[in-house]
Amino acid sequence: MITRTRMARWAIAPAGIAVAAVALSACAGDTSDTAPTPNADLPQDIVFAIKEDAGCIDPQQTSVTTALNVGRQLTDSLLDQDAETGEIVPWLAESWEVSDDLTSYTFTLRDDVTFSDDTPLTSEVVAANFDAIIELGGAASLAAAYLEGYTGTEVVSDTEFTVSFDTPNVAFLQGATTMSLGILSEASATATAEERCAAPIGSGPFVLDSYVANDSIVIDRREGYDWPSELRGHEGEAYLETITFPIITEASVRTGGLTSGEYDVIQDLPYIDEARYTTDEYTLYAKANPGVPNGFVVNTEQGLMGDETVRQAITMGVDREQINVIAGSVSGSAPTSVLTSSTPGFTDLGDTLAYDPEGAAELLEADGWELGSDGIYERDGETLTVAVTAFYAQDVLEAAQQQLREVGIDLQLNMVTAGDFFGVIASGDYEMLGAGLTRTDPDVLRVLLSVDSPSRWGIVDDAELEALLQEQRETADADARQEIVDEIQQIVAERAYVIPTLETVQLHASRAGVEGIAFDSASRLNLYDTVVTSE
Amino acid sequence: MTSPAQRVDAMGPRRGSVGTVARFLLPKIGQALFVVWASYTVAFLLIHALPGDPILAALAVRGGDATTTDPAVLDELRARYGLDGPLWQQYLGGFFGIFRGDLGVSIATGLPVSETILRVAGPTTALAGFALIVGFLIALAFTVWAYLARPAWVRNVIVQIPPLGIAVPAFLTGLVLITVFSFGLGWFPASGASGFASVVLPGITLALPTAAIFFQVFSAAVFDAGASPFVFTANAKGLSQSAVVFRHVLRNAMLPAITIIGLQVGYLAGGTAVVETVFSRDGIGRLTVDSVLARDINVLMGVVIVVATVYAVVTLVVDALYGVIDPRTRTALAGAKPISAAKEVRT
Repeated sequence: MITRTRMARWAIAPAGIAVAAVALSACAGDTSDTAPTPNADLPQDIVFAIKEDAGCIDPQQTSVTTALNVGRQLTDSLLDQDAETGEIVPWLAESWEVSDDLTSYTFTLRDDVTFSDDTPLTSEVVAANFDAIIELGGAASLAAAYLEGYTGTEVVSDTEFTVSFDTPNVAFLQGATTMSLGILSEASATATAEERCAAPIGSGPFVLDSYVANDSIVIDRREGYDWPSELRGHEGEAYLETITFPIITEASVRTGGLTSGEYDVIQDLPYIDEARYTTDEYTLYAKANPGVPNGFVVNTEQGLMGDETVRQAITMGVDREQINVIAGSVSGSAPTSVLTSSTPGFTDLGDTLAYDPEGAAELLEADGWELGSDGIYERDGETLTVAVTAFYAQDVLEAAQQQLREVGIDLQLNMVTAGDFFGVIASGDYEMLGAGLTRTDPDVLRVLLSVDSPSRWGIVDDAELEALLQEQRETADADARQEIVDEIQQIVAERAYVIPTLETVQLHASRAGVEGIAFDSASRLNLYDTVVTSE
Repeated sequence: MTSPAQRVDAMGPRRGSVGTVARFLLPKIGQALFVVWASYTVAFLLIHALPGDPILAALAVRGGDATTTDPAVLDELRARYGLDGPLWQQYLGGFFGIFRGDLGVSIATGLPVSETILRVAGPTTALAGFALIVGFLIALAFTVWAYLARPAWVRNVIVQIPPLGIAVPAFLTGLVLITVFSFGLGWFPASGASGFASVVLPGITLALPTAAIFFQVFSAAVFDAGASPFVFTANAKGLSQSAVVFRHVLRNAMLPAITIIGLQVGYLAGGTAVVETVFSRDGIGRLTVDSVLARDINVLMGVVIVVATVYAVVTLVVDALYGVIDPRTRTALAGAKPISAAKEVRT
């Protein structure tokens, strides 16, 4: 249970674009043409049980899913992204232009937007927001990652401004649709990190009423809100008057409360309980996190990981379908690429990543490995032992461990705390990391594998790959970039630099009388269209 | 007409002077200070002996997979949270900070630790207080019931009931209570820490193990007292059952129960984590668990200091109470023999 909870917790942030059809059976709410309307006889209030104290609800600073689910309701972003097509549309910005070399982005803002402290949205405010994120640095690491190479925001007029970077930043546009780059009022942007955490002021359809640590968060409808993006199902103010988020850490209390009617919606339904809530009385909401799926990220400088044959044998020896059955959501599917199926630019590489234990054996034996008496391969007195360091999803790793053992590969699990995990990354002392990396853009593979990336988890020495990673970053043309991204995925999967195991799915549930809960482009929830339709 | 208590009372010393009280209390205050210092020192050493970087751990709580590992950023944060400089400096700085009421700043939230602990102190005090009182009453009720029960096999059955309170895990009790009284009957809220109603279910969950421990000590003392000559005498004189039980037996069985209160408060101050998690209450137990998980060592040290202080103060008060409740202590003191009633009772 803990593993599950923690895994979802780390499945952070942004954008899910159903570029490929994900078999997410109960993914409701994305379709705006059938948007439900409120039942006038019922109070438009819901109780939404969340699974942990968000700690900080400033969406720029946190990357905890729970906090982002709350923060999304309080803040708007410059742009919005269609969760189905991946198309980017205006939101706070009416229009935008991108320079050919992807180093400067010019936006034109709507002129009728105000924050909940009644101050207007201007170019100055946006500039203050971005400057503050850079200033926060490590405390706003995800938002700062979207602003990689930021050199400043030039204010042209009250509604026009240009954001500049010293290197091409292809992920910025997608980043601008996420709540991580959600825009806060000038007062919030210039406040201290702690003040912002407790009470961020945004221009969103809801306003923070109260936040009691470890107890509850209450948000109220913003009077006079009138600037949703065109992707939403209606215009004007939000339907719900009040949303109460009690913080219920114990999963069985959340599910019990949903059954008894105490809660209308619950966050993070444990996968194991999923089957109980497939009846007509409930609605399930499931969506895979975008980015690199949970899996093994290799360090080719350690142990046997420099040996491509070994890496390929591992990737062939992992039965992803079975792992998904054992440790995944019924609504999810096994990963078929080194990007998740909800990431823009995803290419199905099911053949490359097929389960093939015989193939793995052939590969190893052709390379001089011999099966030892204990069922583990050996060569020149060295056993085929590899180690993975991780801090969540132990069940996934244990399943992989069993599968690899049958193939003759000894996988050692090294479970550590989150802090130690990043300590290990800092020291480079690991053979493989067991984790996923959540980002909205295929640029995530560069973030993970490129030599100059601040989040370089995968240590590989591959000039061909490096060149492609840099090239996609500088390519503005979508089709041309897609070709490069395809090639990158093929190389990373084939050379087994990333060995995917499971697509992490965000799974929530509501009673049937609450409708219009939608996943936004960031696989986080947007409750603007949410209504109470029946008791 | 003289029960033992009254008899001792009669010859009880009214001779107590300030000097006597000081002689009794000063060593105990010294002990209390030692407990706080020793807790601080041991906790400090243990926390700093653990491998890993608390700054990275705290950053990972908020940053998730975007957590930075840039050494320059980490150094800057280390300085900000008082985790730079040699260990002895941090040790002394932290220790003297206690006396200024400065427990440092939480690494995970950036808020002052004293403010954070103050926030959780209210809900935890309410919960622990409720559990202590209800637990004591349950133990008292079962003890009297068992004492009066006849025949012996009924008494033996009753004596077996309270230990169930500690045998059944609080986690299970809590979930059963929530299912029946919150989700089923809707009488009490399943979560939160606002209002008296929110204390009831977690309070009862916590009261059961508390009652079990009280009962163990209390019933043993009551049965001991019940078998003593003065009760035999009281019965023989034809005193009513209730007079015997309440005036003679319970009164004499009180001391061990009070001794155990000190330990119970210590347990409740730190042992509420499971209950607070199940009932989604804010409180010191959950704060402890969260700060352990986040390696938020500043908060952790703060919790250790506060809990150690509470424990030391309660023990001090209990020790002082012996002087009030047990006349023998006063006698001993008046006789210039600094003898601890606690020792006497325990042996």
